Amino acid sequence: MVNFRSAQQANRRKTVFLLVGMGALSWLVAFAALTYFGGTTAAIVPLAVGFALFSVWGSYYSADKLVMLMTGAKIIEESDNPKLFALVQEMTLASGLPMPKVAVVADKAPNAFATGRNADHAVIAFTTGILDIMDRDELQGVIAHELAHVANRDTLVSAVAATTAGAIAILSDMLIRMMWFGGGKRDSNSNSNSNPIALALSLAVLILAPLAALLLKAAISRRREALADATAVDFTRNPTGLRRALEALAADTTVVKRRSNAVAHIWIESPLDTSSTSKLFETHPPLAQRIAALRAMEGI
Amino acid sequence: MTKIIVVLAFFAVLVVYAFSLYNKLVGLKVSVDEAFAQIEVQLKRRSDLIPNLVETVKGYAAHESATFEKVVQARAAATSASSVGSVASADGMLTQALRGLLAVAENYPDLKASANFLSLQEELATTENRVGFARQYYNDNVRALNSAIVTIPTKFFAGMAKVSAREFYEVDDPQDRKAPKVSF
Repeated sequence: MVNFRSAQQANRRKTVFLLVGMGALSWLVAFAALTYFGGTTAAIVPLAVGFALFSVWGSYYSADKLVMLMTGAKIIEESDNPKLFALVQEMTLASGLPMPKVAVVADKAPNAFATGRNADHAVIAFTTGILDIMDRDELQGVIAHELAHVANRDTLVSAVAATTAGAIAILSDMLIRMMWFGGGKRDSNSNSNSNPIALALSLAVLILAPLAALLLKAAISRRREALADATAVDFTRNPTGLRRALEALAADTTVVKRRSNAVAHIWIESPLDTSSTSKLFETHPPLAQRIAALRAMEGI
Repeated sequence: MTKIIVVLAFFAVLVVYAFSLYNKLVGLKVSVDEAFAQIEVQLKRRSDLIPNLVETVKGYAAHESATFEKVVQARAAATSASSVGSVASADGMLTQALRGLLAVAENYPDLKASANFLSLQEELATTENRVGFARQYYNDNVRALNSAIVTIPTKFFAGMAKVSAREFYEVDDPQDRKAPKVSF
């Protein structure tokens, strides 16, 4: 039988591993840029990182407001849905987290998400669809999964991943443009110490890096989903509830109307069409795999 | 000169590390205290529901006085308890007494159908859940604190930080003790 604590540890370890990979990739891109263009391009690296920081961390600080706007979620009060609030309160007791804001998205497709830069600014939102179809235990599992994202600081983790991926994308984009316009300069500057193999490799790195960064970003997101499932079981001590909830989500074929790539990763079930893209770019592990992991925790 | 700087830097890092271990232990202790306070808040909430519940049941089943007596006594004991062990055992007794009360209610269809009773029962059920989750959170924190006290390196700072192993919150409930049925 798999223990939720060992599942949490494994997922945390893998996140660290992936983030280190992300760091190594940025270093590789910077290195390739220096090899290909020579020392004069060094100034571009901090520029790209600064730009990525600026664009991502703005959205990090206003994550709650931004996501609410993009998904059309509306904050509700305790009197609007006392039963849902009672369940959320139970889960805050189990997790030791402060009471988050609760929001509802008017949408028939069952789904839920959590956002906010830290526990004090957390918002957890549910579609009207999920509130309709789930029973008490299932909904408790879903709430625990969302609060697990808050407890694990997943808004921060995805902001870090997005910053690095963004910086890499900007960097290689700038450098590839420079190649078209100023390729000749390289020859006069640093022809003496560059061999053709190193140049070819650097070029390959610059072209492939953004793709690799996207793959790493998606892998981190999948890890955090699996971690949130394990942490949810830590809170409820009832893997069956969340497992049944995921099975209900798998059985349902409707998807959220106001979906967009930008916020796809925050939902409990990915709202994007999953058949057309490769598994490697998915922000969520396949539901079947998550259900199997929970079954292992149930010991069946 | 550089040697002295290296040595000083090494000691500075060591001191900062020692501080962080000390703070970790104190932090764990504070979390345990907070978690216990949360259990008490939830027990109080449950305790406040009881007079209302007893009155409602009395209205339909006035002669079941033995059951009421048990609940009232258990509630009084629970209100006066303060240490972890006594709160936990009083909590267990009250849980059992309440179970008895609800079992009595089963025999009175009119009572079971009354709106007042149903809402109280629902309230009691969610409160029991909250008490349960507060207990679980407390025990998780005690587990973290107790293991920090016996594992290296935090072990060496336990005396200095004046933290000691804490008691788990174990409810004495005969129903939980029953060995699970095993069938082959």
